[in-house]
Amino acid sequence: MTDTTIISPMTGMLTASPFIVARHIAKAFGGAQALKDVSIDLLPGEVHGLVGANGAGKSTMIRILAGLNHPDAGSIEIDGQRTNVVNAQAAAALGMSFIHQELAFVPGMTVLQNIMLGVPKPSRFGLTDWSAIAREVAPIAKRVGITAPLNASVKGLSTAENWLINICRALVRKSRLIVMDEPTASLSASESEKLFTIIRDLSRSGVTLLYVSHRLDEILDLCDRVSVFRDGRSVDEFSRAGLTRQKLVESIVGKGLGETVKPVRAETSREVVLDVADISRLPRVKSVSFALHRGEVLGIGGLVGAGRTELVRLIYGADRPDGGSMTLSGKAFRPKSPSAAVKAGLGLVPEERRAEGLVLSKSVLFNLGLANLDSLVSGKFVPLLSRKRQAHMATETIKALAIKTQGMDQPVGRLSGGNQQKVVIGRWLRRGPDVLILDEPTRGVDIGARGEIHKMIRQLAQSGMAVLVISSEPDELPDLCDRVLVMVEGRVVRELSGDELSRNAIVEASYEVTKQGVPA
Amino acid sequence: MSDIPVSGRRLTPQMKAGLGIFARYATILGLVAMILVFSLLSPKAFPTLGNFTNVLNQASLAMIIAGGLTLAVIVGELDLSIGFAASLHGILVTGLIVHDKLPIPVAVVIVVALGALIGLVNGFIVTKIKVNSVIATLGVGTILTGFAFAYSSGVPIVAGVPEAFLQLSLGRWLFGIPNNIVVMVVVLGALWTLVERTSLGQEIQAVGGNAAAARLAGVDVDRIKILGFVVSGMCAALTGILLASRLGSGTASAADSYLLTAFAAVFLGSATLRDGEFHVLGTFVGALIIAFGFNGLNIFGAPTFSQYVFQGTILIVAVGLSSLGRSLAES
Repeated sequence: MTDTTIISPMTGMLTASPFIVARHIAKAFGGAQALKDVSIDLLPGEVHGLVGANGAGKSTMIRILAGLNHPDAGSIEIDGQRTNVVNAQAAAALGMSFIHQELAFVPGMTVLQNIMLGVPKPSRFGLTDWSAIAREVAPIAKRVGITAPLNASVKGLSTAENWLINICRALVRKSRLIVMDEPTASLSASESEKLFTIIRDLSRSGVTLLYVSHRLDEILDLCDRVSVFRDGRSVDEFSRAGLTRQKLVESIVGKGLGETVKPVRAETSREVVLDVADISRLPRVKSVSFALHRGEVLGIGGLVGAGRTELVRLIYGADRPDGGSMTLSGKAFRPKSPSAAVKAGLGLVPEERRAEGLVLSKSVLFNLGLANLDSLVSGKFVPLLSRKRQAHMATETIKALAIKTQGMDQPVGRLSGGNQQKVVIGRWLRRGPDVLILDEPTRGVDIGARGEIHKMIRQLAQSGMAVLVISSEPDELPDLCDRVLVMVEGRVVRELSGDELSRNAIVEASYEVTKQGVPA
Repeated sequence: MSDIPVSGRRLTPQMKAGLGIFARYATILGLVAMILVFSLLSPKAFPTLGNFTNVLNQASLAMIIAGGLTLAVIVGELDLSIGFAASLHGILVTGLIVHDKLPIPVAVVIVVALGALIGLVNGFIVTKIKVNSVIATLGVGTILTGFAFAYSSGVPIVAGVPEAFLQLSLGRWLFGIPNNIVVMVVVLGALWTLVERTSLGQEIQAVGGNAAAARLAGVDVDRIKILGFVVSGMCAALTGILLASRLGSGTASAADSYLLTAFAAVFLGSATLRDGEFHVLGTFVGALIIAFGFNGLNIFGAPTFSQYVFQGTILIVAVGLSSLGRSLAES
């Protein structure tokens, strides 16, 4: 461990020995290697940026620091001491605080109670001494800019104020490291500025900040050093001097990966099946328009949280848009529910396969049948399910999709991820909707099944279906799609097709700056 | 989400499979064991065709109301209004016949329709107003009890109940089989067919198994849930009518205790043959266990308190077995 030299900071200012040194951390979840080899060191009082595409391993690394996951390999040293962060309490005791996008606060309690959430409190005669706590907390609250009275309810406070409460809590805990995950995602421009001021102030007083963000301009503006993760590895570490946006994007995207040669495709039909015009559901989807053609595979790329799933939910009738209109095969299309959308000719392979796609305790046959019940019944007087038809449907689909199962009666929960996904797709294959939407169709699916699913999607398009594919993996879309829309913060910022359509183009567009700070 | 090892011992797959099989057949084994023990202890009174018919006859009312409840729990909701509703139905049907001089079939149809309406109201409150089903049906049930007292002024309707109405429950119109048993077989048969053999039944099971997945697969989840409540309400009405006929009177609170029996039967049933999944056949077995248990206690002259202890214990055991089955199936 000692042969690794610590990259010296850019100025002579930060000569203190590092607070945290993590070396060669690896972590797998099931078959997926989330972290392959990650090293990072955090110096006292620095603002350290952490960037990387979706799935690069940022969240996993943070969860390891927080004691929520345990590394398979590698070491963590805190103040030079080899340390195992066994759980969240241990992380807190070691002086680390974590502030996530989903802020931890209890709506029914006061500001002070929220600040003290989970913090050990002094007591008098067995009762919590709130007035003593208030005296102690007041200056800290003032320092981070909490203007609401401490005894006010947090109900009605803005996201920004809740961030401040979380920061205040970290300071009350005397944290030496505060990890912030996408802090400005739901803040306005002026609120973000205030947050930056506080971050700089904290940094000056010796608190280390690990700042995770997709917003590269903030990273460039705020951070002393920046680590870049890619595919589970820490690939670059930059100091601020001379760092440019372009350099960061190149590092995030990676070089030498060579563009895959795209198969030449037959001209897709110009017949518009689904036309989406200015559809909105604030704050997540902002005035999105596109046309989906028969026989086309249209991809939607972008970062997690860009509003892609939310857009699909509008199209599928799971949520109602608050603006815009759609037509399906030339007719006005305003689905009131997913069931109405299915009747009109849509199908969806949802993002969360296990939670939203399958009835896990039920058989393969049951799950395949779910969208095809009309075609599985027979009988003159009382329409009863025909076991013959069910078995025929199931055998055909299992064969067509090469689903690996012990039989059609095996509970679907026992299949592997890839085969489960094939069951969800198989349900629609059989029904043959005009428009099939697939949300992250190959997430958590092994390489082999991934190729098969891609082939399947192309075949469905060739058979005349219009297919919409969402993927957070930029690698996936260029091979699969005829056209790709890239969404950033609820808007389509770029349409890519033909020669422009490449992995790099998708990633670059994903980091495109939209008018930030437009109040939601 | 996190991979913090869950505390507790790890079971080997063999142990899990063994436990799973045990959990699936435990209720049936229990039923068989109970019948054997009672037969040995009381060879003259217990193991006779007469007694078995009697047990089944008595159990039929519970089986009908539990069959309806099964539909409600399959779609993932609880219906606590059924016992109170059945009491109200009993008073109403007697009142319609005695006071309003309605022909018996008309009175029965009206009351069953009212049962469906109560189910509709329950379903509407749960799916559209989004009140938790425990609260919604408890509230509705309490309101119904209020109606029952208002209608009867708290006095049982006894005088003038025609003999023909009593025959509804006491008669043996088909090959000498008690009517209660015939109605029970028809109702449970219809429910079993609905759930297991129709496309609607697939939707019902899907909603209970994973409502989110069912919704995205195109199932109208609210409609299915309302249907579950309506079936539950109609079965409660049937039980209420048959009970009034058996008792020869309409009495407020007469059927309240069927709520607990029905729940015990349904949960025992979910641990039967399947891994914690509710199903009609299971409910039948569950109700049979409870019925034989009570019968045995009666034959041996066990004191009243023991019947309550038995019923409470069996409810807890039933839910315990049910969740054991489910956790084994999910691991």
